[in-house]
Amino acid sequence: MSPKSGDAIRPSSRHGPRIGVFVCHCGHNIAGTVDVEKVAEALARYPGVVYSTHYDYMCSDPGQELVKRAIKEHRLTGVVVAACSPSMHEPTFRTAGEEAGLNPYLVEIANIREHCSWVHEAGPATTDKAIRITRAAVEKVRGNHPLEPLQIGHAEKCLVIGGGIAGIQAALDVAEAGYEVLLVEKSPTIGGHMAQLSETFPTLDCSQCILTPKMVEAARHPRIRLLTYSEVEEVSGFLGNYHVRIRKKPTYVDPEKCNLCGDCEEVCPVRVPNEFDRGLSERGAIYIPFPQAVPSSYTLDEEACLGLEPLRCSECARVCEVGAIDYDMQEEIIEEDVGAIIVATGFELYPKEEMAEYGAGRIPDVIDGLEFERILSASGPTGGEVRRPSDGKVPKEVVFIQCSGSRDPELHKPYCSKICCMYTAKHALLYRHLVPDGRAYVFYIDIRAGGKGYEEFVARAMEEDRILYLRGKVAKVFREGDKVVVWGVDTLTGKRVEVKADLVVLAQAIVPSPGVTELAQRLHMSCLDEHGFLKEAHPKLRPLETLAGGVFIAGAAQAPKDIPDAVAQASGAAAKAIALLSAPALVHPPEVAIVDEELCSGCGICAPQCPYSAITVEEVAEVNEVLCEGCGACAAACPSGAMSLRNLTDEQVLAMVRAALKEAAEVTSG
Amino acid sequence: MAEFEPKIVAFLCRWCAYAGADLAGTSRLKYPPNVVPIRVPCSGRVEPAWVVDALRQGADGVLIGGCHPGDCHYVSGNYKARRRVYLLKKILPELGIEPDRVRLEWVSASEGKRFAEVVADFVAELRALGPIGAGSDASRVTRDEESTALRGG
Amino acid sequence: MRAEDEARPKGSPDSMGPTPYVARHENSASPVTRHASRPKIAVYWTGSCGGCDVSFLEVGEAIVDILSQVEIVFWPALADPKREDLEAMPPGSIDVALINGTIRTEENVEMVELLREKAKLVVAYGACAHLGGVPSLANLSTREEILGEVLGEGWRRGPPPGGPEEDAPPDLLPRALPLSQVVRVDYTVPGCPPPAGLIGEFFNAFLSGEMPEPGYVFAKAKALCEECPRTREERVLKRIVRPHELLPDPEECLLDQGLICLGPVTRGGCNAACPQAGMPCTGCLGPTPKAGDPGLAMISALASLVRAGEEGEEAIPKEDEILDQLVDLIGTLYKYGVPTFCPLSPERERAGVRGKASPSPVPSQPGRGRRKGGAA
Ligand SMILES: Cc1cc2nc3c(=O)[nH]c(=O)nc-3n(C[C@H](O)[C@H](O)[C@H](O)COP(=O)(O)OP(=O)(O)OC[C@H]3O[C@@H](n4cnc5c(N)ncnc54)[C@H](O)[C@@H]3O)c2cc1C
Ligand code: SF4
Ligand code: SF4
Ligand code: SF4
Ligand code: SF4
Ligand code: FES
Repeated sequence: MSPKSGDAIRPSSRHGPRIGVFVCHCGHNIAGTVDVEKVAEALARYPGVVYSTHYDYMCSDPGQELVKRAIKEHRLTGVVVAACSPSMHEPTFRTAGEEAGLNPYLVEIANIREHCSWVHEAGPATTDKAIRITRAAVEKVRGNHPLEPLQIGHAEKCLVIGGGIAGIQAALDVAEAGYEVLLVEKSPTIGGHMAQLSETFPTLDCSQCILTPKMVEAARHPRIRLLTYSEVEEVSGFLGNYHVRIRKKPTYVDPEKCNLCGDCEEVCPVRVPNEFDRGLSERGAIYIPFPQAVPSSYTLDEEACLGLEPLRCSECARVCEVGAIDYDMQEEIIEEDVGAIIVATGFELYPKEEMAEYGAGRIPDVIDGLEFERILSASGPTGGEVRRPSDGKVPKEVVFIQCSGSRDPELHKPYCSKICCMYTAKHALLYRHLVPDGRAYVFYIDIRAGGKGYEEFVARAMEEDRILYLRGKVAKVFREGDKVVVWGVDTLTGKRVEVKADLVVLAQAIVPSPGVTELAQRLHMSCLDEHGFLKEAHPKLRPLETLAGGVFIAGAAQAPKDIPDAVAQASGAAAKAIALLSAPALVHPPEVAIVDEELCSGCGICAPQCPYSAITVEEVAEVNEVLCEGCGACAAACPSGAMSLRNLTDEQVLAMVRAALKEAAEVTSG
Repeated sequence: MAEFEPKIVAFLCRWCAYAGADLAGTSRLKYPPNVVPIRVPCSGRVEPAWVVDALRQGADGVLIGGCHPGDCHYVSGNYKARRRVYLLKKILPELGIEPDRVRLEWVSASEGKRFAEVVADFVAELRALGPIGAGSDASRVTRDEESTALRGG
Repeated sequence: MRAEDEARPKGSPDSMGPTPYVARHENSASPVTRHASRPKIAVYWTGSCGGCDVSFLEVGEAIVDILSQVEIVFWPALADPKREDLEAMPPGSIDVALINGTIRTEENVEMVELLREKAKLVVAYGACAHLGGVPSLANLSTREEILGEVLGEGWRRGPPPGGPEEDAPPDLLPRALPLSQVVRVDYTVPGCPPPAGLIGEFFNAFLSGEMPEPGYVFAKAKALCEECPRTREERVLKRIVRPHELLPDPEECLLDQGLICLGPVTRGGCNAACPQAGMPCTGCLGPTPKAGDPGLAMISALASLVRAGEEGEEAIPKEDEILDQLVDLIGTLYKYGVPTFCPLSPERERAGVRGKASPSPVPSQPGRGRRKGGAA
């Protein structure tokens, strides 16, 4: 760390740097306030500078020619163009340099227009500042090393985790682009929550009808390998080069042979609540979540079965005519190299049992939105008739409570779950269609219907379907006879409201799918937000990426989302993955962190500073250059000076500072 | 004697404050020419040692410009910068430097006006503070020699 | 034997053994007698606690061997040589002068200048000579404040008790200085006091005639963490505590436990003696070659490590609470290096940190033959 900032090197030096300075007039834009001639003159006398000139428009063709010619004629080892902001012409001049045989990283811009001529009055102080800025740029160039962009190879497969609509869409897009896809879903079927929905807002198409073709397409696609009943167990590697280990649980039923006759489930003596119907119906230990499940096969639920080891019952195998049931089926471990990973693990509903204030969990006729979806669904437990869980009666008075568990920082979740306003309107409307003499009440804080056709949809529910919207919070829900009494306040009228309801539907908050925390750890993406949703690399500019390079996010795993948003984001994530997979090699800017192994003590202070987990520390720190984005946080933190940033080292900055501060006289006499 | 013109070194994050200064330029806003900007990838790259070095090399003030909280291109560099400056300002008086000579400001790429105002305000404040370490050149010379001797060249 | 010891160059105490006699000195240009052909060494103390002189004993039995190969021509802690004895020696007649202690009095200056003149090589021995050392923390107060505090307000210098014939006690310099700010220093053996291994390394190099480039510091270029056996798991600072506030876990890195350990910025070479004993490193071996100002480097590192939950605006007040737990910044971060890294100047008084302004002007810089500064 010499304080002498290069005054040892004279322009005449044969082996030292030979830097050229090119001062641009930018017509009057610079020359109007800065004495460009003087700048060029001052720089000509600056140590290390062997050529200094000024010209009308440096970025013009003749201007660039001038630079190129000078590089060749004067064997320049570095170029400083004192002109406009680097955001304008840095690429221009770097390319020009390259064309003249100079490494582009040896070309720097001194911003004397935006940062000087345009913001100050004409005069010596302005010219003086331009000189200082340019001198600092010379010091930067002096310390720069020629660099080449980093190139690395990558695997050409894509892993999609989560087989909801988002995962399916992403898998289809990537596969259509010609890449192999592994689609990993933890449940026995793909489809996710969309499969549970009755009809979908705002157009009210039947959810199954639009989803099933996609599920089938995914299953049949030659480049999609469907791994249901599977979980990602381990992920190692980095951007473009991940190695994944997937564990596929045995279903004990050969999907090739199973013909969906259902004989096995009929004879199965076990009955457990059916998750797909959210416990509103029962299933056997051997079951199929729903008839259109993909892969279309029964699954034997080992937990529920009376026993496989030793075999306790084996009724199902006895009745299975095609011999599809195989009690000896083993779990499978699948290991693959993938270049990109799309995480689409979706959401869950905030457990309604958390809502003690609404009697949920205690009162059977207080249900959540997905339960109501199943009740509305033609293939649901009630066969599409609206009947309440407790006694199967058709409810005549139904209260819908929005924001149940959302927007409640004290007791529950502080955020807005975004889709509840819409699906509640849909619920109330579908209810009114199915029970024309029924009355529907909706308690809401306010209505958020920001989406194409959404406002109209809610308006239609309110007006055409005469649903009573009550603005206010529900204070208490309790049981009275076979009624569920709801006390609330209508804040618009200020009146207390009491509804003796038959059924209460809670629009429960949306929470991240369980297990995402562990999955995120396995993916080395220390990137869940405070609520456990997957965190994007940048909330505005990189919403599809995560901080783990090559790992993208889609669907409700990132935040509460409806189907159109989930699908759009899935296609976006797929496009990102395709861009990565289709690159012949991954190219990465070379201005990254670099460790001096002679100095690094392995203290480990740098590693936790890196937002991209690019640093690992064993004996010494090691930077994965492909993951490093060049922010420099590690270099600033490293106490021993072992970590540095390529082409922005401490030495360079200190020299730039000195160059910026020295008086002209000091420099030339140096 | 002419009015004291403070010298300022500004470490500007390329994504925000540097771009904000660019915008001040394209908007032709006027501010005093006392500041020489140095572009850094992120405010999180700035080291306390740079700041003190600049002040010991004759800067009267150092400005660090970063992205607003939540906007850092690298997620959290600005928070690190904030903590470093917070601690640095605690020790500056002990090193004989007024903490007000160091400023950390959040300036977004769209805040050209704010950049101009920050500079103008800082220049005014430094004018009031006066030159740094007037008459203390002796100690500066010593430091340089020391460091050379210490590090054994 | 530890791996670290194995890795250490041949100078480690265990490997000292009978060091071969060094031919260089036999052919040396200085007039030699048979007896005097052993290299002549001087050991001197300035403002020091005496620990450095005692530290030679730490080397163990090997010291006998070392001493048998040198001729001690001047060592006030061992014998009772007088200044006149030193003055009588021809210039350059001492092969090496090992000087320990901070430079605090006019007499210190005169003596080290004298030693510089008489010695071919001058070694800054110990943290005080190297960087200023613990006594130089006195620089946080002015000389006048110190004298006023010790002798009482309104003190005055009296005549020497034994009459004008007697030497007056030497004047205090305005502030304490490391050796290098007074005379040219060729090598440094750092530490408070230097650890036996490094002393051995120095003598081995010296006696074998294979001295490194001038300016070399006899310690590792890598920071202490490299040789520290403590485990580093979660590298974050969730709190900051002082040594008396915590009985540290015996295995875990002290910094991770909230103790301000300067290991990451301090040269290795002591086998992490302090951290091994449960005390954070205070930096006595001095900063690593590229650390620059160790206090500022640590400020950056510590502030980086502080976490109060996820980084974000909400965490700021809590982060500041943690940072506020770092007290006595100078004492903690610059225990040995105040005059080297914290130049005291009128700036300090103008900043109005510590009480009244010093009545003395800019401290005069004693010493001659110093190179001209680069930034004038
Ligand atoms: C009551 C209700 C009504 C709704 N009505 C509508 C509507 O009318 N219109 C509309 O547009 N939207 C509606 N939505 C929203 C819609 O359900 C979601 O937008 C959509 O399901 C999001 O799809 P996804 O793929 O992101 O997540 P999900 O559907 O949750 O799918 C995620 C999948 O990932 C799997 N998975 C989770 N973790 C793992 C793991 N670790 N490993 C492997 N697999 C994993 C899950 O098993 C699941 O199959 C409604 C939501 C609710 C709650
Ligand atoms: S073996 Fe298990 S799954 Fe098959 S019928 Fe019996 S209990 Fe049901
Ligand atoms: S902070 Fe520096 S010394 Fe410590 S491990 Fe990282 S690079 Fe090495
Ligand atoms: S420069 Fe930034 S991105 Fe690169 S390794 Fe360091 S902290 Fe990580
Ligand atoms: S205790 Fe100190 S020396 Fe040891 S590893 Fe921790 S910081 Fe480094
Ligand atoms: S990118 Fe601007 S402060 Fe980090």
